[in-house]
Amino acid sequence: MTQPNNDTSAPKGEPWVWFTSLGLIVGLTMVAGLLALVLYNGFSVFWAPPVPIVKLSDGTVLMGQMAQRRVRPDSPASQPKYERQYQVGLRELNGASYVWADEAKIVQEDFPAQTMGLERMENGPAFVTPIAFVNSKGQRVLFKKESFGDLTREVEYATEIREELNTIQRQKIGAVNAKMESTRIDLRRAEDRGEPTAEIKTEIAALESEFNQLREQAEKVKEKDALAKIEARDARGRDVVLPMATIVRAWLPNDMSAWDRVSLFFSRLREFLFDEPREANTEGGLMPAIFGTLVMTVFMSLMVTPFGVIAAIYLREYAKDGVVLRMVRICVNNLAGVPSIVFGVFGLGFFVYVLGGSIDQLFFSDQLKYNNNTPVFGTGGLLWCSLTLALMTLPVVIVATEEALSAVPRGIREASLAAGASKWQTIRDILLPASAPGILTGVILAMARGAGEVAPLMLVGVVKLAPTLPVDMVEPFLHFDRKFMHLGFHIYDLGFQSPDSDAARPMVFATTLLLIILVVCLNLGAITIRNRLRARYKGASF
Amino acid sequence: MSENTKHPPDAPTPARFQVSRFTLLADTWMGRLIRFGGVSVVAAVIGMLIFLVCQVLPLFSGAKLESLTPVTFESTAQAFGEDEYGELPFTCDATGTLIFRRAYSGSASAPGAVVKTWSPALAPGQKVTALRTYPRDGLVVLGLSDGSVIEVKVSYKIAFDEKGGRTPQPQIIAIPAQQLGKNLLPCLDVWSVKGPNGHLVICRQQEAGRDFLTAARLTEKPVQVVQGLAPALKSFSIASDIPDLERVLVPSTADSVIVIRKDGEVRVYTVDEEEVTFLQSFRPFASQPDSRIAAAGLIFGNVSLVVNSYSGVEEVWSIYPQVQSNGQSLRRWGKIHDCEALAGAGKGIFPAVGNKCYLTVAGGRMQIRNMTNGSLRWDAPAPASEIRQVVFSRNYDRLTVLSSDGVLRRWSIEDHHPEASWNTFFGKIWYEGASAPAYTWQSSSGADEFEAKYSLVPLLYGTIKGTFYALLFAIPIALLAAIYVSQFLRPELKKIIKPTMEIMASLPSVVLGFLAGLWLAPIVDANLLPLICLVAALAPAALTAGFAWSSLPQPIRRKVGPGWEFAYLIPFVVFCGWLAWQSAPLIESTFFSVKDVASGQTISDFREWWRQNSGWSYDSRNSLVVGFVMGFAVIPIVFTIAEDALSNVPDALVSGSLALGASRWQTVWSVVVPTAISGIVSGIMIGFGRAVGETMIVVMATGNTPVMEANPFNGMRTLSANIAVELPEAAVGHTHYRALFLGACCLFALTFVINTFAEILRQRLRERYKVV
Repeated sequence: MTQPNNDTSAPKGEPWVWFTSLGLIVGLTMVAGLLALVLYNGFSVFWAPPVPIVKLSDGTVLMGQMAQRRVRPDSPASQPKYERQYQVGLRELNGASYVWADEAKIVQEDFPAQTMGLERMENGPAFVTPIAFVNSKGQRVLFKKESFGDLTREVEYATEIREELNTIQRQKIGAVNAKMESTRIDLRRAEDRGEPTAEIKTEIAALESEFNQLREQAEKVKEKDALAKIEARDARGRDVVLPMATIVRAWLPNDMSAWDRVSLFFSRLREFLFDEPREANTEGGLMPAIFGTLVMTVFMSLMVTPFGVIAAIYLREYAKDGVVLRMVRICVNNLAGVPSIVFGVFGLGFFVYVLGGSIDQLFFSDQLKYNNNTPVFGTGGLLWCSLTLALMTLPVVIVATEEALSAVPRGIREASLAAGASKWQTIRDILLPASAPGILTGVILAMARGAGEVAPLMLVGVVKLAPTLPVDMVEPFLHFDRKFMHLGFHIYDLGFQSPDSDAARPMVFATTLLLIILVVCLNLGAITIRNRLRARYKGASF
Repeated sequence: MSENTKHPPDAPTPARFQVSRFTLLADTWMGRLIRFGGVSVVAAVIGMLIFLVCQVLPLFSGAKLESLTPVTFESTAQAFGEDEYGELPFTCDATGTLIFRRAYSGSASAPGAVVKTWSPALAPGQKVTALRTYPRDGLVVLGLSDGSVIEVKVSYKIAFDEKGGRTPQPQIIAIPAQQLGKNLLPCLDVWSVKGPNGHLVICRQQEAGRDFLTAARLTEKPVQVVQGLAPALKSFSIASDIPDLERVLVPSTADSVIVIRKDGEVRVYTVDEEEVTFLQSFRPFASQPDSRIAAAGLIFGNVSLVVNSYSGVEEVWSIYPQVQSNGQSLRRWGKIHDCEALAGAGKGIFPAVGNKCYLTVAGGRMQIRNMTNGSLRWDAPAPASEIRQVVFSRNYDRLTVLSSDGVLRRWSIEDHHPEASWNTFFGKIWYEGASAPAYTWQSSSGADEFEAKYSLVPLLYGTIKGTFYALLFAIPIALLAAIYVSQFLRPELKKIIKPTMEIMASLPSVVLGFLAGLWLAPIVDANLLPLICLVAALAPAALTAGFAWSSLPQPIRRKVGPGWEFAYLIPFVVFCGWLAWQSAPLIESTFFSVKDVASGQTISDFREWWRQNSGWSYDSRNSLVVGFVMGFAVIPIVFTIAEDALSNVPDALVSGSLALGASRWQTVWSVVVPTAISGIVSGIMIGFGRAVGETMIVVMATGNTPVMEANPFNGMRTLSANIAVELPEAAVGHTHYRALFLGACCLFALTFVINTFAEILRQRLRERYKVV
């Protein structure tokens, strides 16, 4: 094409060029489609759409939020018939939270303004027509549009009380329980060794009375809001009484301004990010899982970075070049391609059973003996998860660091040595700073891989619901032996192990969205740093 | 480094040129630290492999038997019994006398000392003519000369002294003689089996040279003793017409009786309460010159029979569903294994409990074998010419042998994985209850008698199947995209598009698995044919567009800037895809109409058509869905490596080709791709490695059934998914646990080898570029 050409027909093989572009199109469509799907489904979880009352031709009346629309499985592909799934909530009355309705059977669909949506602590949400509510002082107020503000305040008050209760029950009683347990172990040990037990027994008695006091205190707090409730009617005209203490949030889905919807969206998003899960993880927040993922990833990178960097410096700067080194390098590179589940198997077999088992034998033999053989480190936990993932991501860091070190121009290195710097000084002052972005890229990539990995964690200590966080205010603050929750495992567990898969679906999409955002951001960061680095040492081979 | 600190010998270094001690120290110590750290990291990595292998090795070791102190009894001892720990064994001689001797030195008496002697109380004229002991049940049955039987229950009471030392004390309860067989005919042999549905006692007698068996069901109620008179049992007859009866086997379930005749015919009778039915007759060695059966034994679980011939041939027969001549499938006995030949005529087969091992005595040797995989666990010379009785303890940890010299020899057994062998994991095995040999993975079941099936072959098959579908989909897309992006795409777009494809690599597999299983699978299920049409239409559409564009006049062609083809192609491909989607119902009704089984109407449904015409099943979570979604994991890897290899092809080659007048496609196809081919292959191999190890997608998007079918519309179970699903429940150190480790080792080895090859290819590519 560079020379003048009188032949006006297209160059040979042009159709094949077009054909190869198909690969790019399909690839891009896949990425874009997947991201769009997750973004749409993830964010729509927090969005409150209008809620219809649906009358079916067989006389059934439903009130609920539309969840899905799909082709009926029995309809032929040539003439598809659709059905819709409504989230009707009120599981204690309706039996199931989700109901399928044949689209052909729908006769009427209304959106009455007084319909109210209520998010509750248990049994799914409720979609009702409110009649009246009783406030915390016991006054009954007939429900009107204007009194919705008062109702919201009552709900907020109920939330405050729940939080207060939570502080007492989870934190204070939890701390007392933990102390009680360790004291009981002390008691058993003392009894076993024939040591005096009177002191321990008084301690236990003191703890028990503290425990009872806290329970009384909790009862008193509960009393404050015992009267408040909402009286309402459901779609079939049945009267429903909903205690205010069970209500998390109330909104009028058919009578909201756009601003109200947006603020509801953000309020739900905030709950999702900062609150604890409820209803077998299908509602509420994800804070423990987010926290668990972060803590695990941080520990993992704290472990993998120094070892990875030292190993890379050794391989690049100290080890003698030769067949052995080349083989070691190939081994390390290949380790990055070993399936993650193999690392999980190793983690379970070595870290948990061999290492953890020996730690328990050595340091926690009392705990084992007097606590029904409950293992401390001899079972999956945060430490083993971080170590397993650190081992898994080690090759990523080693390879990235080695590449970064080798990209530092030879001249700089030689200049430093020629100026009289020792080898270590050259590494510390010249090589490491110059390769820092490369190392950082490796660490970020390792973090992204670690944050998204589930298979090995399933074997070495992730659980679907952990009662406590791995880091908290109880001594020794960092609980390496604790099991924890993880975003990726949350998706697996909710999506595939949940008894109510319909109810779990929105939560899985939201979690997926969060995990993807996390991982994609980490990766984009790594790619950006790498590109900058490339520009800096242009010409060096990568 | 030492060179830096060397002083020239003649001129002393001025102080200002001397290196400070701290710097030197820091350098030495940091050097040591880094060396130590580096070596230990590398060692840890290699240690991981060693650890995995060490976990697997015990699977392939045989049984270790260690001889314990023998206890010498009288040489008249015919049979023996023992307690759970083998501390106080007893023997029974022909007169029915039990002698208890201590096996270990206890606080009360020395080893070998007689602790207790017991003889049955016989009426005048009665004589013990037959006896049998059941050591594991603590049971001794004595057959008397008048056709009555005595059951003796031996239990042990353990007394503890102050120091915690245990002294077992035998306690003997004898049930008085009860009339079972024909009066006044001596019992020639007796059996007593505690079945789940009642205790079955059988005796063999002979009248006029003809053998017959009489059986009775005993209740656990204590027998009323009436003044020394033997209360008669409600007895019934089994197989009263068998000529030349030689041997009888009674399964521990007490629901059948296996009778072996002298000429080698085996007859099976089922005993349902007191109803006896003849089930089947077969001759194991019918084709041999000597068809007689030298020894026989029922394997734990009672559905397999090991038989030996006089020439040392060993076979296993088992009961499994067989299609009869009338087309019915009935559970009947048939041969399932031909075992290794023995050293001589079989002299006895003694099964273990709790697993499928058995001990054969033949040709002066004792051998423990596993019935399932035929592996030889242990082989030792027999201690005496005649072995009277061999018993395995309940936990398969002790073996006790009574030989004709009256010595009770004992061995402790260490054999943690009797069911494991090379054949178990990779061989085709005919399992009990199966109609043919098969590769099966079924690791656990509720029953104790369950024969664990640990064949890794279906899992390897599933792994390869999943990988195949993933690569089938991913490789064309990844390579096409790599060629286009590296050779044709505008450089400024490349800067955006490469990271986008790399983002795809970072998508967590749990997310992909969730979307595949919960979102995509139902969609594919509902729109299977339209989707197939859509995918099938893509390639022709792109090629058509290319040809159409090439045939356009030059001025119009020029409007499409080079590197922008894909943007013009998108709308056309979308249109063609839509067309294909819309035409799917027509195609379905034209080609895939079938008669619905339920309603009898003709419906057009591809899924139903597939079920009826391929003979295979159709699952919504199938290999196609897995393959597509695994594409998300594989495409970016293959793409990145192939793209790198293609872009790094030296410019000189490309320019040269173009200068010689080749078109850009000709250059790419005949210069760039062949040069970079090892890089491309390396990319494909690394993609293969990734697909092989992918876990969460497979766990979530397939049914996880370990089937071996090439059917694209059903699921599979891969090695990795199998580990993820089963390892959390596997007991540490158990065969199941180690079998999963073996699976992990296979995965490790597979990916490691593939990646090494890929790495070598890439290094070769680098060398080649250097030369160019």
